Amino acid sequence: MNSSNDNTAIGVHNGRATGMRSRAVIFTAIFYFITVMLMLAVCWLFLSNVDQLFPREDTVRTEAMDAWRSDEPTKEFAGGCWRFPSFWRSVNLTVVSATVTTLIAAILGIPAAYALSRYKIPGRAVIDVLFSSVIVLPASSVGLCLVVMFQYGPLHDILDGWGIHVPLSVPGIVVVQLVLSLAMGMSAWRAAFDGVKPRFEHVARSLGASPWRSFRTVTLPSARAGIFAGLILAWTRAAAEFGGVLTFCSTFEQFSPELFSPIIRALHLHKADPLAVNMWAQIEYGNVEYGFAIGFVLVMISALSVYVLHKIGGKGYIW
Amino acid sequence: MSESARQTVSTRATPPKRGTRSVWPVICLIAVLLILSAYLLLVVSNVVYLTGIDEASFSSVAQLLKDLRRGIHDILWFFTSGRMSSRFWLTVKTASISTMLSLLVGIPAGYALSRFRFPWPNLTRTLIDLPVMVPPAAVGVFLFGVMHGWPVKPLCEMIGISFAHNTNGVILVQFVVTVSFCARLMKSSFDGVNPHFEQVSRSLGASLPRTFWKLTLPLAKRGIIASTIVVWARAAAEWEALMLFVGGTEAETDVMPFAVYLDWNGGMMGWVASYSIACILLAVASMAAVRIIAGKSYLW
Amino acid sequence: MLRALSCFLATALMLAATGCGDSGNVMLFHAGVGQRSSLNEIKDVFLARHPNARLNFAYKGSGYFIADLERSREGDLFMPGEEFYFLQAVERGFITDYDPKTDIAAHFMVVIATPRGNPKNIQELEDFAKPGIRVGLGNPKACAIGIWDEKTFRKAGIWEQVKKNQVQSAKCIAETASAIQHREVDASLIWSSTAVLYLRDIEIIPIEPRYRGLVRLPVGVLKFSKHPELARQLKEFMLSEEGSKIFRSHAYVTDPGPLDEQGFCLDGGMASRDDCKWLVQAAKVCKDENIPVNAETCGHLVGEVRRQRATKRAGTR
Repeated sequence: MNSSNDNTAIGVHNGRATGMRSRAVIFTAIFYFITVMLMLAVCWLFLSNVDQLFPREDTVRTEAMDAWRSDEPTKEFAGGCWRFPSFWRSVNLTVVSATVTTLIAAILGIPAAYALSRYKIPGRAVIDVLFSSVIVLPASSVGLCLVVMFQYGPLHDILDGWGIHVPLSVPGIVVVQLVLSLAMGMSAWRAAFDGVKPRFEHVARSLGASPWRSFRTVTLPSARAGIFAGLILAWTRAAAEFGGVLTFCSTFEQFSPELFSPIIRALHLHKADPLAVNMWAQIEYGNVEYGFAIGFVLVMISALSVYVLHKIGGKGYIW
Repeated sequence: MSESARQTVSTRATPPKRGTRSVWPVICLIAVLLILSAYLLLVVSNVVYLTGIDEASFSSVAQLLKDLRRGIHDILWFFTSGRMSSRFWLTVKTASISTMLSLLVGIPAGYALSRFRFPWPNLTRTLIDLPVMVPPAAVGVFLFGVMHGWPVKPLCEMIGISFAHNTNGVILVQFVVTVSFCARLMKSSFDGVNPHFEQVSRSLGASLPRTFWKLTLPLAKRGIIASTIVVWARAAAEWEALMLFVGGTEAETDVMPFAVYLDWNGGMMGWVASYSIACILLAVASMAAVRIIAGKSYLW
Repeated sequence: MLRALSCFLATALMLAATGCGDSGNVMLFHAGVGQRSSLNEIKDVFLARHPNARLNFAYKGSGYFIADLERSREGDLFMPGEEFYFLQAVERGFITDYDPKTDIAAHFMVVIATPRGNPKNIQELEDFAKPGIRVGLGNPKACAIGIWDEKTFRKAGIWEQVKKNQVQSAKCIAETASAIQHREVDASLIWSSTAVLYLRDIEIIPIEPRYRGLVRLPVGVLKFSKHPELARQLKEFMLSEEGSKIFRSHAYVTDPGPLDEQGFCLDGGMASRDDCKWLVQAAKVCKDENIPVNAETCGHLVGEVRRQRATKRAGTR
């Protein structure tokens, strides 16, 4: 505080403009520096790990290990992941499950976000807070909550009566992903609808349009960018889900194919894990190069979706 | 509830014809109800699980009362024991430190992103947002590679700081996961301040730093505080990267989200459920604070 | 504003500094997640005697350690859930002084676990092969129980049928056990020392002696240990009489009797008979509030039973 006042005094004597300008330059430079450093750190975080894709000389493969892993990735670039059908099925599973999740999230979330944005619902503030708090819920906690919800109490009895087991099943993945991606999508859609003035709708309504028609023809087109942003966010979040899937669904790669239902086999979703889970699993099995390759695929997927998000100028998100 | 809400809708939207009833508002409200009930079921089942009340409890009133008393006793036991408070304060401590560190980088970076020009704006913005959108698990894995590679490892060994399996690692992970998120939120906070004011301040003779301290920061205060809370909540909820980078150590790295997983693996479901409830309460409390400060529960 | 911010900065740096300080005598112990409860007790006792030392654990599925050690080359002690993983570390030269005769801290016993009440009436190993039973198996690449699943069912000659019933491929023993606890699967094989953590929610069924596996648990000091002397002392403590006692109180088997080279019982289950009996008894006592908890009703597992009886959902003492 003091030093800054002194500087001002000196600045006044020596010519106010030059002092001010130099301070502005230093200020700007520091801020630029911090930002550029942050960007470089992000680049470093992802790019410095490229060397992990190459097998190391000093990794010894023991005989016992090789006996177990005759059908396993070998020590080559990226573990030779592209040669494994399970890798492509995992990509497929990630894309399909995230898409299904996003669809369900959109069907549920867009009307809900619209209602929260437009209608006077009693306790709307509380509902708002509840929905947005899902975003800052730990994934481990989500996993636990889901297990408890599906395995205890009335829901378990009902589902058990129908012979449905949600945990440890492929559709379970969608259930887990839905929790977080719905919350993400909702926050974006909420913001999108809040950004559209209700006045236009009133005009449309007063001209005789039904609520649905006014929503479809007036609100939806005006909020288009925000809705797309929400879809992208929901999709990316769903594709990034890891902890919940791990605790709720476990892994499927080691199963024999006949354990999966015909629909899942027809879609080539069997014997595969969502990419984030597969990344962890592969590193855990010792296929470090393979795991990092999947990590890079995940980074590329996220980078692409963020880029698209900025391209369409989508706003209204927290994440 | 839907009936009363429909009435409020119809009074508010001043419909011209009573005849053009639409199912659309009803669908919207049903969607809200569905999500709300799923969410409440998610949370409530957790609490019910902790109390241990099940089908057998409903056999008689006496049994139910007995189980209820026992459940309340259990909840009190878990929430008043030292293990809970030590994990809670560990979480608060690490999240606060990492949030402060994030703010140190995030506020300048956010201001720069909001006001200064960068080449390839979409690309730079994507870069800043990338750690936010990449799965935290991948961040943990990549962090492992960075911390065990040149030049970080020799540097850490020289200084004598270790980041694996201790609290430092937790802070590092939380910092990495939240720093660009923080910058992003701060950018939005500063975007909310009209640059016109700054121009006026500058033209009246205030230097750029002075304008920033005296004008921009106070004007963006609300947004900054709200963002700080969100960043804090996000840091306190980090688990996936922790699991892959830091590893579990009793009373050292097991912040609450991680303790959920660790105790889950130790079969201590009582702790798991109570930590999980504590996490939910933290999340709800921080989002409520955001809503009170920022006026809405999402930020931008 | 500036003052507030500088105060804030100072606090942040101070807090960060307090976090960074002590990295003196910190040992790092890589241990399978299944050994957690017993090792925490070992740690408490050991640290009470070595007040200067500090001990951190890295609990994971056993398979992960090789990948972790290979890349990080950090850590002082290593105790995976199976000799197989240990031998890999030996083969890679991470552990140089392994003596298979003396370095075994304790044994796991493989038992059958089913959800509370045993709804599918699983009584013996062959029941795993019945159609419609949801079986949880471990993944041999990630955890030790996976190896034993395959070994045990192959010995019983029903591996192919059991594979058809698989609904879970777990990556650590705890995942298998919690799936049982939450009724996600109908039956699994788990360690005795893991089963003892879930007394309230599972039923424990001993395997018939000829298929009963006893798993050797070696412990070793890693080559790149920064505190080899302290690590050696800890290892010795774990191998001592006192260490065995702690392991035993967590349902490890310390006297397995004669085993074949694969690790299966040779003496018709004589040596491990008591361990089986007390395990089953402990599960019974823990569920029934009317039975008193003492050494007569639950034997050496009285501590575990007492802990889990204290609250409806298990916590710590």
